[in-house]
Formats: sequence, structure tokens, C-alpha cells
Amino acid sequence: MKKRKSFLAFTLMAALAVTGCNFNSGESSSQTPAPSNNGGTTTEQPSSGKKVLQVFNTDEIPSLDSAHVHETVSFTVLNNTMDGLYRRDQNGQPYLAIAEKHDVSEDKLVHTFTIRDNAKWSDGSPVTAKDFEFSWKKVFKEAGHYSFMFETLAVKNAVAIEKGEKQPDELGVKALDDRTLEVTLENPNPLLNQLLSFPTFYPQKQEFVESKGDKYGLEYDNMLYNGPFMLTDWKHDQGWTYTKNPNYWDAGKVKLDQIDGYVVKDAPARLTLFEAGQLDRIELDSSYVDQFKDDPRFHIIETPTIYFIRFNHEHPVLKNKNIRKAISMAWDKKGLTDVILNDGSSPLNGLVPKRFATDASGKDFREFNGDLQQGSLEDAKKLWEQGLKESGVTEVKLGVNAADTDRSKKIGEYLKNQLEKNLPGLTLELKNVPSNQRLEIEKAITYDLSLGTWGPDYADPMTYIDMWVTGGSANRMKYSNPKYDELVQQAKLNTDLESRFKQMVELEKILIEEDVAIAPMYQEGLAILQKEYVKDFVYLPTAPTNNYLWADIVK
Amino acid sequence: MGAYLLRRLGYMLVTLLVIATATFFLMKMLPGTPFNNDRLNDQQLANMNAKYGLDQPVAIQYLKYMSNLVQGDLGDSYKYVGRSVTEVISERIGPSALIGFQALIVGTLVGLALGVTSALRHNSLLDYTSVTLAVLGMSIPSFIFAALLQYYVGLKWGLLPPALWKGYEYTILPTLALSVTVIATVARFIRTEMLDVINQDYVMTAQAKGLNQRKVIIRHVLRNALIPVVTMLGPLAVNIMTGTLVIEKIFSVPGLGEQFSLSVIVNDYSVIMGITLFYSFLFIFMVFIVDILYGLLDPRINLRGGSQKG
Amino acid sequence: MSMELERTKNNSQLPQSAAPLFPADSIPEDLFVPEPVDASLQEQTSGPMKSVWQDAWQRLVKNKGAVLSLFMILLITFLALAGPAMSGRTYDEQNLLFSNLPPKVPGLEWLGFDGIDSKGINQYEVRGVTENFWFGTDEFGRDLWTRVWKGTQISLLIASLAALLDLIIGVAYGGISAFYGGRTDTVMQRIIEVLMGIPNLIVIILFILILEPGIFSIVLAMIVTGWVSMARVVRGQILQIKAQEFVMASRALGASNSRLIVKHMLPNAIGPILVTIMFTIPSAIFFEAFLSFIGLGLQPPLASLGMLIQDGYVAMRYFTYKLVFPGIIISVLMISFNLLADGLRDALDPRMKK
Repeated sequence: MKKRKSFLAFTLMAALAVTGCNFNSGESSSQTPAPSNNGGTTTEQPSSGKKVLQVFNTDEIPSLDSAHVHETVSFTVLNNTMDGLYRRDQNGQPYLAIAEKHDVSEDKLVHTFTIRDNAKWSDGSPVTAKDFEFSWKKVFKEAGHYSFMFETLAVKNAVAIEKGEKQPDELGVKALDDRTLEVTLENPNPLLNQLLSFPTFYPQKQEFVESKGDKYGLEYDNMLYNGPFMLTDWKHDQGWTYTKNPNYWDAGKVKLDQIDGYVVKDAPARLTLFEAGQLDRIELDSSYVDQFKDDPRFHIIETPTIYFIRFNHEHPVLKNKNIRKAISMAWDKKGLTDVILNDGSSPLNGLVPKRFATDASGKDFREFNGDLQQGSLEDAKKLWEQGLKESGVTEVKLGVNAADTDRSKKIGEYLKNQLEKNLPGLTLELKNVPSNQRLEIEKAITYDLSLGTWGPDYADPMTYIDMWVTGGSANRMKYSNPKYDELVQQAKLNTDLESRFKQMVELEKILIEEDVAIAPMYQEGLAILQKEYVKDFVYLPTAPTNNYLWADIVK
Repeated sequence: MGAYLLRRLGYMLVTLLVIATATFFLMKMLPGTPFNNDRLNDQQLANMNAKYGLDQPVAIQYLKYMSNLVQGDLGDSYKYVGRSVTEVISERIGPSALIGFQALIVGTLVGLALGVTSALRHNSLLDYTSVTLAVLGMSIPSFIFAALLQYYVGLKWGLLPPALWKGYEYTILPTLALSVTVIATVARFIRTEMLDVINQDYVMTAQAKGLNQRKVIIRHVLRNALIPVVTMLGPLAVNIMTGTLVIEKIFSVPGLGEQFSLSVIVNDYSVIMGITLFYSFLFIFMVFIVDILYGLLDPRINLRGGSQKG
Repeated sequence: MSMELERTKNNSQLPQSAAPLFPADSIPEDLFVPEPVDASLQEQTSGPMKSVWQDAWQRLVKNKGAVLSLFMILLITFLALAGPAMSGRTYDEQNLLFSNLPPKVPGLEWLGFDGIDSKGINQYEVRGVTENFWFGTDEFGRDLWTRVWKGTQISLLIASLAALLDLIIGVAYGGISAFYGGRTDTVMQRIIEVLMGIPNLIVIILFILILEPGIFSIVLAMIVTGWVSMARVVRGQILQIKAQEFVMASRALGASNSRLIVKHMLPNAIGPILVTIMFTIPSAIFFEAFLSFIGLGLQPPLASLGMLIQDGYVAMRYFTYKLVFPGIIISVLMISFNLLADGLRDALDPRMKK
């Protein structure tokens, strides 16, 4: 029997040896930091004199193929390893990156970019205009997730190609020669430069991509980089290492030698690793905030992600504007943001968040319309009663469609308690479902109330405003106002920034105050814990948020 | 024996077929799609569905899936663009297998020691302590152990790395957290079996004829009590599987359990199905091996068929 | 035997004369009268009557662990039913002024129920709260005492429902399979064999995903495969009993099938069935907790032990009490059910008789 047992053990061992255990083995990440033996909070980095930043990632990289990427982790990695025609600076303003010159035709439809001659791939070869043409068309040839960005950019024929009426090769982008790229638009777009910094518009070198077949972007060495850093190691599901890219055209700006990114999904584990010195910057769970509030390493970031309630505008009772307004007014937003969430989130009384966009004079968008949908609890109760009378009912039971994340659950619990207490006759039924399902329910509009969220695609209020046009893919609540649709169309084509801004302020007012289309809840905050020696870590409000280009370690 | 093996293999195949079919249709009933981006419009969604063949009738999709399955192809992941399910599983199985296997070994050895001591010193203080420990181990959810180990051993005392997966020492805490239930299960089982065997007539006979206690214990009691431990392998494997689902997340271990719960959240159908089939296969295979081993170890059981009932 | 008795009786009544009135061999048959059958005496035994159950009970009572477990289960069940009413607060009553208060019980300060948080600040004094929250409060200011007992109630409900349904399906399936035997049994066993091969954890997760989340879905998901072990136990028992002489005797005497099942089979199988139930309950409690932990639990604001533990897990560092109370209760419940099941199994097992 003993013999058999050891044979079994041997077989299993052999199986293990074959499958491998994916430890970080040698290669570039040679300085596997020893486990923190001093148990304190001061374990420092390897003393090789290299500047190494240690960050966490929420998930594995699904793919680095810019034609296919569709979520935060990939966007972050691409943003730090690639460069587009434009790049955003520390304040989120676009500046010319791979392109050194940008000429615009009279009618603002034809844009000609000249590629920098010192723009190189990480293998030393030059970045050409053809690389852009190839990667852009590839998005349509392979049905990439973010093809709608070309619609937003208004690239010629993008919509027609999507509908199958035209071929991907007819997309309005063309390499005139190695260093000249011509982009043709359907209509003038004031946001063009801003949008061109987005990962979907990054170049890909055709020969290299084709030599890797369908494995392009799935391993660190199956990729060419033209950005500030390049991946030099990527252990699937565990983490990856960025190293400074010596071939980067703007390499002088880069201060860090290396960035170690680890996949850590558990909030307590992140805090533990931060304290053990293995992470330099983490996001804090709200239950830890009180403990660290006075710590010099504690920071609050106000993000432009908004949380709001979608109403089903075809619901017999919710179609009543007074009812909608009462629901929006009858609860204490401050209690939610300051006590329940406790992470720097702040109440939102409009559509466009604070500190997101300003007019030419620097005045915040939020200041123009001020607080919308405001009033006392008494006002809310009056509206509610009036609304009930108008709808001819005395009691309403509403389902709340929400994701099953901890955050959504908490918001739902709080809303239910507040609204049921303050609006007599109202019953809320919470339905927390997996996020995909929540989306599906929203799309089918089979909900009564739905807790929605929106993060901006680009740094302009339009990213919030054009969601609500009739039939828009983000509308998902049968809201329709022809006047609103028309004004949005006008503002989109308006290249005069000042009057465009005014139009958008007006649009917000129509949507929130006049139509009470949605009930805004709050603007998300992030509680951050960052080691004091980390400097200039740039967090931009719009995705991709984390930028390591300017970051430094100063000890 | 041969006929029996063939029959068993037949059942395994049928079971797998049932599981594959059931999972496939369960997946089809799942609300939501794998393309969960807020921003996709209907046209794009239709294009993406067409790309993955999700626009075809369910029956066709089913036949396609099954025919691919027979050829060992589990399909492509929806989330990890360009990666096949087989790749995703093989990337993840290593760490899970390592900590699972270690936990099985550690757990069985410690559990064995506890159980034997406890049975030999029946009703002593030692027995009560080890029974209490075993019951505690079975009763307290393993993620609580994991959290305590991580905080105290990993951070406060700084003895071992609290999380991540960078070297052998990183496997120790997850292994310990995972082995707790194994220890408890084995200890309890062994104790009961030993007590059972000790009360058997042949043991009394052995004692009566004056064999020394050591010999009786090792040759008669332990040997016979150990045989049924093999039957524990199945349930233990399940224990470990359950454990890995949460423990891998807590310790940031890049394992299969973590991948499963992740895929469930993002509706990555093909990966969910792949892992389900993989787990089922493992489980069925385990049960099969157990039965064979059992037959080999216990001469009273013959595998010519019919006698495995009960 | 009765004839013998009759005779001696008659004999004793006869006058003691030298010559019998009637010679023994000349007594005609018709003089014999059968003694009236007294049904109550049929099963009379000489010793004090002790049923299997009394016997088992006596042995169970001798097992201190089992008795203590039984007591704990009763106590926790009582608190789960009465506890939510004791604090005078409902489980979903929110008050942000009371948010995140540590536990405080006057008189138990030395045990840690002193209202002092992880930073050493007495939150009750700082915020001027005069009420006491025995188990503290969560971030919504909800009373955790009420929530914990309400949660225990729900967890117990889920577990008992799962056990009950397992029992019904398992007994019916196992009973039919074993009783009819033959082809029926073979087919039914094949089905079980296939079902046994499916890892139940995975099935539970998949079902939860499809069903509308709620108590009933969780129960349903758990019994999809849960009844199989019960069916196997029942089948095994019935097969064993079926082969025993007393059943054959009963059958030979013309007992009907239903009488056989109700009178003979079920009472004899009930021991193992009970033990199986006792093991099902804690594992159902555990599964609920596990599902909540991976985010597939009930709908808030409803509480269950699993959901409370999941809430408490992240907050554990600085609001330890949020994890400790539900953690202790779930552990005690699991321990108690396991020990009681062990005790019952020993008590019902005739081999353990000393």
C-alpha cells in the first residue's frame, strides 16, 4: 500500500511539474522582493538605485491589441506603453505626440498629420502613417468593441461600415506616404484632438502583427510599443513589469525605471500589501477611511463618474414628472456620500459633475446651472401627493434594478429606507443582479427604477449630454424630447466653443430641471493611500486614468 | 474487472455528456451577454454576436459546441479576446493544483495524526481537544481562517508573505488556510473508523491472544481504519475546490477557482462551461480512482460487478 | 402452548379425586375452548418496556457534547425567533446618527462591550448617544443585535427548508427505488450515479445565476443535487430491512405494501435519515454563507448570517465586531449540529451499545 501511495504522489508531482506553477521566474523581474520580515510599514524597494513604482491592478489584462481592448486594465497598460497622434498632458489637455504637425482643411473635414521622424517602435523601426491606417481599419475588420469611437470621432464611413453598407477599407483614413496620414471626417469635430489620444486610435505595425498571427498582444513579447514604457514581463493573472522605453521619442520626460503591477482583487489584501511595503498606491475601502483620514498618505480624488437613477418613462406612474421629481428630492444625498460611502464622493445635483469642464473664462460648468432638482422635504412630499393624485393612485410599488456590487447594494438599501420613510405609499423592491444582467434589463426597459452610472469617454460635457437623445444606446429609458435631440445635434456640429458651451448648459437644464429625465445621485470619489515618496502620479478624470509618464520616486 | 471498468467508463462519459448539455442550456438561459459594455449600440452588438456565432439558432450552437468538445476544443473566451478556454484553464490550473495538492498532503497527515491519537486516547483530555479542534476546523468558514492568517502571520508577525504569488514561500499561507477543513475532515473520520475497528471482534481476539498493543494498533486497527480514508478523496477534493474559490482571491493566487468566480461575474460563458466541465471531469475521475483503489485495497470487495452497491 | 395452559388450568380446577371423572383420552374435542386473544398482551415483554427511541435518548443524554449542542441549538433558535424583538428595533431601521457604533452593554464593559472603537475613542460619549447597541451598529446605523438574530433566523429557515425538501424527495426516491427493486431500481440508480458525478457547488452557482435571487432560489439550488445523498441513505436502509426476516414474515402474513412501508421500513430507517438531516442543516447554512461570500446571496436589506459575514469581512480590520458576532453564531451552529448528529448516530447505532 505504501508503494502505491508514493506512486500516486509521484504521478501528481509529475503532473504539477508539467503544468507549471507560474511563479515569477528569473527573466527581467529578477529582484523578487523578500517577504517583509520586519512586519512594519517601511519595507522599502530593492536598493539597486532603480526607481521602481509598485502598483496594483484590478484584473488580468484581457488583451493588448488596441483594436480589441474594451476595459480599464488594458486601457491603462496601453496608455502607458503606447502613444497616439495626440497624448494628454498632466491636466488632460491634448498635445501632439507621434504626429509633429496637424493641418486642417478649410471646411475642417480633412486633417493631415505629419509623423515625427524620431517616433520609433520598441524594436527601433520607425512608426509610419501606414501603422495608423492598418490599426484603424482592423477595428472594423475584426468587429472590435470600441468601433463606436470612430462614430464619436465622426470618421468618414464609420457608421456605414458598421451597418455593413460599406467595406472597412473605405474608412476615412489614408497613409499618403510613410510620414503623412490623412483623416477625413463626416462633419467638423471640436473634440478631435482630445479623442485621438484614446487607445483605440493607437497604431499597430502590420508586419509585426501579422507575424504573430492571432497571438498579437497576448504576451509581453508579442507586442511592439511606441510609448513611454514597454512591458518586459507579463505573468498571466499575477502581474506585469513595465520598463522605461529607450526608443520613446519623448524619453527625456520619463523618470521611473520600472513599474511592477500586481493583480490584487481583495480589498483587505491590498491594504495588507501596502502596509507590508509591496504596494505604493492603493484605493481604500470605505470602512478603512476613518482610520486613515488624518494620515499624510491619504488622498481623496474626485472622479467624474456619476451615479444616477434612471426612470422608466413609460411606467404609468413614473411618467408623471412630479412623481419623478419627488423621488429625486425626498432623500438625503449627503448622508449617502458622507456616511455610507465615506470615500470622497459628493452629492450631484445636475448631470455634468464638478471640476470636469470649464468655459473659456475658467468657470466650472456646474456653476452655470447650480443645484437642480432641489427643494425641501416638504416640497418633495407635496409634489409626491400631487403626482399620486394626478396618476389616480394612492400606493406605488417600484422595483429597483441594480448591479450586485457592494456599492450598489448599499445605495439601494439606503434609498429604500429613505424614500419609503419620506414618501408615504411608496414601496421599493431591490433587485440586485449581476452587472451584465442589469444592463440587459436596462436595454429591454423592463425595470421601474434603475441605478445607473456613467464615466466620461472624453473630457467634454457632451459625453454626458448626448446619452439622452431619442434612441441613443445609453438612453435605455424611453426618454424622448425632440427639442433636446435637435439642440444636441446643433451643439455637436457647433465649432464655436463658447456658444457650444452655452448650448450644453441649456441642454442640462432641459434634461434635469424641466424634464426630470433622471435623478442624479452623486459624483464618485476615490480614497487613495499613497506612499509619500511617490510624486507626480497623474490621475486623469477620463479613461485611461492612470498615467505613469511623469511619476517619480523621491526618497 | 475489465467489464466493470468499461461500464464505469461508460457512466463517466454519460455523466460528462449530461453535464455538458445541462451547462450549455443553463448558459443559454443566463440573462445578459458576455459583451457587457455600456456603450455598445445594437448594430455593434449584432456584429459581435455574429463574430462569435451567437446569432445562430441554439440547436446549431449546441451541435457545434458538442462537436468541438469531442475534439477537445472548448471554444474561445469572450473576455480574453483571442485566447482559447483551454489556454485560460491551463494558465490557471498550476497554482490551484499546487496549493490544493499541498493542502491535501498536509491535511491528511496532520488529520491522521490527530485522529489516531484521539482514538487511542479515547475520552481523554487529548481526545476532547483534538475533537474540538476538528469540529472547529469543519465549522468555521475557511475564509475567516484565511483572513486571520493573512493579518497575523503575514502582516503583524511578518513571518510569511501575506499575498501575491512570486515564489514557493507564497504558497504556504494559502495551503494552510486550505488544509484546515481537510485536517478536520480526516481527523474526525479516522477517529470514528479507528473506534469502530477497535470494537471489532478480531481486534479483541488479537488482544486476547496477547499480541502487544503496538502491533495490534498498527497491523490490525490502523490498517483497516485507513482503507475507508480513500473514500474521503472525493469529498476532500470538493472541499478543496470550494476553498480555492475564495482563498485564491484573498491571497491573490492566480488560480482556477478565482477565475471561475470571475467568469461567472462577467458572463464569460465559454470559460464558465470549460471550467465546469473540467471540474466535473476531475471529480468524476476522482470518484472512479477511489472506487478502483478501494477495490484493490480491500480484498473483501471484488470489482466483477454488482458488489459495489451500498 | 395455549393448549397446554388450558389443560393445566382445567386440571387445577378438577376436584382431586382418585379416579378422573373423564379419562384423559376420552375428552372430546369440543370441550376445548380457545382462550380469548388479548391483543394488548401479544407483544408483552417481561422486562421494563424500552423502545429503540427511549434507548437512544438515554444514550444521547449520556453524551455531554450532544446534550450541550442540543441546548445551544435550542438557545440560538430561541434567540433567532425572539432576539429581533428584544432590542425594540427592526432589522432595517436606519439612522445615520448611529452609524458604526461599537457594541456596548452596561455591566459587560470588561468584556469589550464598552463602546470604544479601534482608535480608542468612546463613540457613544463623543456622539452623545444614550441608547446601547449590544452588538453595535453597521454603517446605516442599523442595530446589529437585531440583524444578527434576524439573519440567524433566515439562515435557519433556509437550512430547514433545504433539509425538509431533501427529506421528501430523498425518501420518496430512495424508498421507491429500493422497495420496487428490479428494473425500476436499476434505472433510478443509474440516474443517481450520473447526478453524483456533478460537483454540487458548480450546479448551485449556476442555478443561483439563473433564478431570481431570494430565499427560495437558494433553497432550490441547494436541493437540485442535495437530495441525492438522502435518497442513497434511504435506499440502503430499505434494502437492508427488506431482506430481514421480520419483513418476510410480515409479508407472508399478508401485510399490504403500505403497511410494510409505514409500519416496518420507515421506523427502522428513521435513525439514519435523522442523522443525514442533521448533517444537511449545517452544510446548508455553510453553503448559504459561501454563496453570500462570493456575492450570490439574498437581496438586501434582508440579512442572513452569510451576508453579515460578508459585510463584516472587509470591515474586519477596524470594525471587528461586525464579523465577530455572526462569525461566532455560525460557528456555534455548525459545531452544534455536527456534534448532535454525531451523538445521534452513535446513540442509534446498536454496535455502540456497551
